[in-house]
Amino acid sequence: MKGTSFSAIASVAYKEFLHILRDRRVLVLLLILPPVFTLIFGHAFEASEMTDVPALLINRDANPRTQRFIEIIEKNKTFRWQKTSPEIADEPDLLKHHVWASLVVPAGWSANLANGDPKPVILYLDGSDTNTATYLEGSVLKSLADFQLKERDAMIESLPEDVIELGKKLPVEIRKQFVSLMEAWSVEPKVLYNPKTRFIDYVFPGIIGLILQLLTVTLMACTIARERESGTLYQLMVTSLRRGEIVIGKILPYLAVSIVLIVMILALSWWHFAVQFRAPIALAVICFLFLLCSLGLGLLISAFSRTQTQAIQFSVFFLLPVFVLSGAFAPLEQLPRAIRYVSEIFPLTHFCRAFRLVNMYHATLSFYLVDLAVLLAGALVTFLGAAFLLKRIEE
Amino acid sequence: MSEPVIALNSLSKSFGNVHAVRQVSLTIDPGTIFGFLGANGAGKTTTMRMLCGLTRPSSGSATITVLNVWKDRHRVRTKFGYVAQRFSLYPDLTVDENLRFFGGACRVPKSELTARIARLLGLTDLAPKRDTAAGSLSGGMRQLLALDCALIHDPPLLFLDEPTAGLDPVHRQQIWNLLYELSNAGKTIFVTTHYMDEAERCTEVGFLESGQLLAKESPRALKESFRVPLLEIDVDPVMPALVRLRSLPEVLGVSLRSGALRIYAANPEELIASWRKAWPFPEIELLADRLVEPDMEDVFTAYSQRYDALLKKSTS
Repeated sequence: MKGTSFSAIASVAYKEFLHILRDRRVLVLLLILPPVFTLIFGHAFEASEMTDVPALLINRDANPRTQRFIEIIEKNKTFRWQKTSPEIADEPDLLKHHVWASLVVPAGWSANLANGDPKPVILYLDGSDTNTATYLEGSVLKSLADFQLKERDAMIESLPEDVIELGKKLPVEIRKQFVSLMEAWSVEPKVLYNPKTRFIDYVFPGIIGLILQLLTVTLMACTIARERESGTLYQLMVTSLRRGEIVIGKILPYLAVSIVLIVMILALSWWHFAVQFRAPIALAVICFLFLLCSLGLGLLISAFSRTQTQAIQFSVFFLLPVFVLSGAFAPLEQLPRAIRYVSEIFPLTHFCRAFRLVNMYHATLSFYLVDLAVLLAGALVTFLGAAFLLKRIEE
Repeated sequence: MSEPVIALNSLSKSFGNVHAVRQVSLTIDPGTIFGFLGANGAGKTTTMRMLCGLTRPSSGSATITVLNVWKDRHRVRTKFGYVAQRFSLYPDLTVDENLRFFGGACRVPKSELTARIARLLGLTDLAPKRDTAAGSLSGGMRQLLALDCALIHDPPLLFLDEPTAGLDPVHRQQIWNLLYELSNAGKTIFVTTHYMDEAERCTEVGFLESGQLLAKESPRALKESFRVPLLEIDVDPVMPALVRLRSLPEVLGVSLRSGALRIYAANPEELIASWRKAWPFPEIELLADRLVEPDMEDVFTAYSQRYDALLKKSTS
């Protein structure tokens, strides 16, 4: 840009900075909101496993063997069991009992097991959230498997001597296979990339991104709209300021404020949630590009809106799908393929992906280069778009 | 004669089917206080905004010190200061911060800025308000500050869009005294106004009506453009007379001036002679009559109401 003057940019930046400083309410919001959000979101997403889910336990099979199963299932931490009398008839009414599940051991269950005709236990599940239902079913299955294993061991212990003698007559290969089949086959999980399996480590970039996007887009969106609303934009335009100088001057103070916010959030998560940061330079580059992209978006909305009210409305319309579809709190792979393409246009998607690739996967640049490129392109497109819209206002 | 500061050549602006400014041509010489008069919606602000490079002319052109106001708008901007109709400074910034910002934006060298701000604040008596937020200044002081901000880069030309609208007489007087001082110092001033007493203070006046320039003269020449003197009568009661007289075919218009009625008619002498013989309204008493010289308000009325019969042909 020819004739661009640093002192002119500095004048605009200083003026914008004074606007932030003078608006006490927004200033307080800027300083209080990010740490508070970090704490709330951080604790909200801290636990990765479900525990103490309220559930009904109804045992209609008074039998020592069933009692052994009940003892095992009672130790299952997923549930907080409420024991009810076996006579009740409305166990499927989960809503009435304020529970998410109800487990019924039918009468004669243990007798059927002994007769070689095993019958299922009945589990009523709240299926409104599909993830929860599957998780609870798995947890009950696991307790049942534990019970089965213990019963088998007990049975082997109590086998009469002559049965064992009989078994010794079997060929060795068959005996070995038989032993193998009697064992519970297991998985040895080796968890990579998030060895402590802490959800906070996964969700953390989502929290930063969400807070930053919320603040930067809405604040930035108001800057030009405010000048347009109050008539000062024309006053700005009759000065010697070029469009580029206005745009850069307006971005700089918000960039500085956002960087302070990022540092604040990072420090808080390191200190309070013990989130570790690896490759600080790579993370800084990712954060910086994401900020540019968000500020550019705010600027674009600002140049597009005629009033501050419109600017806020446009920001909300933009931010809403971002929060749902950007993969900030859950893997994108849960979404249908077509929707995933939509997600790819949001800067937050790329920010979260790149941040996780660096901080959790310790990936090399080649893995997240695309995300960096998209963020950079987003920044360029929004800046140029805003400059173009400003030119249209001028005419 | 020196080169004009402003020259408009068939300058026009349309918004869709609305022709806001039509084929306006005029020149303004250095040191002039040019008063731009016209009713609301006549196209004054649009013309001024085209001159400031804020709106692209639909056709025609205009130059400020031979630079085209649209094509060279970035270079033209160093040549003028602009005081908008609405208060357009930053209310949350102090007087000093506003001046410093516009100084920086207009590329005033840092070394000169402090001295210049002090001089401007002295000129407008705003020095005691230096650290007051612009938003808490009174209307008059805001306007003075806007003037200071427009003058921060010491431009040879100043545009003011109704600078005294809604101000008390003291601040109006103060602003006009400042404009005289600036004009004395060789600056050209282009000001729009509704106030006819302010039009009298300009060295030249332009009348804009429905986007067309009807006249551009000195106030004296404009008053002399009347073909006939005006008839003023004292009547009792006044209001019914005003209504009745307006309905007469030989009367173009009537206005109330300090309790007397001023009649706009093509032949005032004949009219009063006939009234002296036969006054048409028995219930109203004709007390006195005289012929008077038109003032700027009469000029404005005659031009804006198109009382062509009153005016000499030469001007339009």
